[in-house]
Amino acid sequence: MDLSEFEADNSVSCRLASAIPDVCKTEDCCLGIDEAGRGPVLGPMVYGICFCPVAKKEDLKDLKVADSKTLTEAQREDLFRKLDEAKSFVGWALQVLSPNTISTSMLQRSKYNLNALSHDAAIGLVQFALDSGVQLKEVFVDTVGPAEKYQEKLSQRFPGVEVTVRPKADSLFPIVSAASICAKVARDHSVKDWNFPEDLGEVDADYGSGYPNDPKTKAWLLKELDPVFGYPQFVRFSWSTTQTLLDSKAVTVHWDDDEEDGEKAAARQNNTSMLSYFKAGSKTSAQQSNTHQTHRFFTERRLQSLATL
Amino acid sequence: MTTKKKRTPHSQNDRWVVVAADSVVETPKKDDSDPTFIRLRNPSTGNAASLYLLGSGDVQLYEVKAFNEDFHSWFIGQTVQRDGRLLYVTPMDPLFLLLPYLIKAGKEGKFQPVDQVMMDEDFPACTRLLSCIRSQASLHHVAEEKEVGSVKFQRYSQERTMEWLKKKVHRTVKILRKSNISVGEGVKSTTYVRVKQESETQEEDYLRYAHGLISEYISEDLSKALLKHLQLPELSSPKEVEPPSKKRKLTDKPLEAGEDYTKFNSSDFSRKPPKKMSAAQKTLAKVDKTGMKSMSAFFSPKGKAEKK
Repeated sequence: MDLSEFEADNSVSCRLASAIPDVCKTEDCCLGIDEAGRGPVLGPMVYGICFCPVAKKEDLKDLKVADSKTLTEAQREDLFRKLDEAKSFVGWALQVLSPNTISTSMLQRSKYNLNALSHDAAIGLVQFALDSGVQLKEVFVDTVGPAEKYQEKLSQRFPGVEVTVRPKADSLFPIVSAASICAKVARDHSVKDWNFPEDLGEVDADYGSGYPNDPKTKAWLLKELDPVFGYPQFVRFSWSTTQTLLDSKAVTVHWDDDEEDGEKAAARQNNTSMLSYFKAGSKTSAQQSNTHQTHRFFTERRLQSLATL
Repeated sequence: MTTKKKRTPHSQNDRWVVVAADSVVETPKKDDSDPTFIRLRNPSTGNAASLYLLGSGDVQLYEVKAFNEDFHSWFIGQTVQRDGRLLYVTPMDPLFLLLPYLIKAGKEGKFQPVDQVMMDEDFPACTRLLSCIRSQASLHHVAEEKEVGSVKFQRYSQERTMEWLKKKVHRTVKILRKSNISVGEGVKSTTYVRVKQESETQEEDYLRYAHGLISEYISEDLSKALLKHLQLPELSSPKEVEPPSKKRKLTDKPLEAGEDYTKFNSSDFSRKPPKKMSAAQKTLAKVDKTGMKSMSAFFSPKGKAEKK
């Protein structure tokens, strides 16, 4: 699999696709969607679609594609090669969501959670297939979140396509298994030789599976923590594993959208308590005359005099 | 997900990010001393000290202001600086700092040499102000002068000072206009840019704004006097205006309140931090409750229902 396009800039999301088989543009097609790398704290999340004419479903079975989790890495590689060789009737496309994309989406001011991110990646890929001229009739998806809601969302988004959302779809429908193999292979490749864009010198490449409960991953995270910057972009900052480590080991960083409650936050936001309006008038006016009020030219520009350096 | 972050106390830094006029670092040929930061009595607050900078040879005076906003830090070279302030060192007329001393001495009504006037136990460095180039030469703006032999004597003059300050205000107005600074009361954002310039109606706004700016550098008394001198009516801020009493006074005798509400005004009634709700409680709180009976409704006496 050629991941060079993603590796050229692994800080952003990237789409990789096979050529569209000609039969897919004329015959009714089915499409499977699956993802790999949802849980790990390291590396990208990969969304994959695979499509073929409905009539050729059986040929897929002959390739013996099965749920990627039941296969060894070598078997997956082998199967992906076979899929790629069946380019006369099977097409695939991938959306590689870089760990940096995941971090920045989930941690931005208006939060964009992982489910929404996943759904949008899936929708984007289906749209890509439609735009490429694939005659979609059936779509099979392994669920993310509640299956019914997801099915409704996809059906509305793609009228005229029969959408089936099912948990464990990757072991039920060969076309979803095929998609899961594509996604998994892409993820494995990208994690195996992660190209660190940061200038870190020699990085220890022994980070294990990348899942938070893997002792190797844990040890790696502990070792690679930088007190100021935290981690390279390879790490998902939005994972609680990362955040706990940052909270306890790294320098505290305050952002202006950090949640703060109560009186202190109110004072920070310059809110006055409702009660202050009911206090005796003399008190507030006395306070005003005591404290020198800086002219708004300075306050608006956040300029203040200094008493000491 | 968000845990409370503790704020560690600010440690002193030994580095600052400063924007300064070129003249601060241009060293005149003759000279001896490096530019130095000094603390001097702030002319507007009176007792508080503020930071100033004297250029080399004490020739030029600068004031130091800091841009300071929450949640800012610097990356400097290969280091991080927690203090996100940006210091501005800008030229300042030393006369503003001399003025309070002249006024104080002026109350005795005598002509005195200015170096006798500039005495301050708390801020002995204030004498250095006299070596600024503009100090001696501009004293006539705020004081009457007499020369006996080679010694000059000064006496503070309110009229001269007012004229001097008025000029300052008008100069400031010019600059405000030139720099397109929004001075109207309604405008609160500094980034707001007026499309149309309404020149005439804004004259008073400009004057008032400039007066406010100059008042940052003079005592409150002077500021009030200056406002009069500029023939601007004093504004009473809306906060100070008491709402009209709703009760009509019927007698001249002092009225006594029927009920004492002030007990509710005690500290335990003051703003309490809202309780943290769990995610489940938050979603529950958002539920549409219209048409739902409150739990307590089921326990109210049956009387009403039976009457029906």
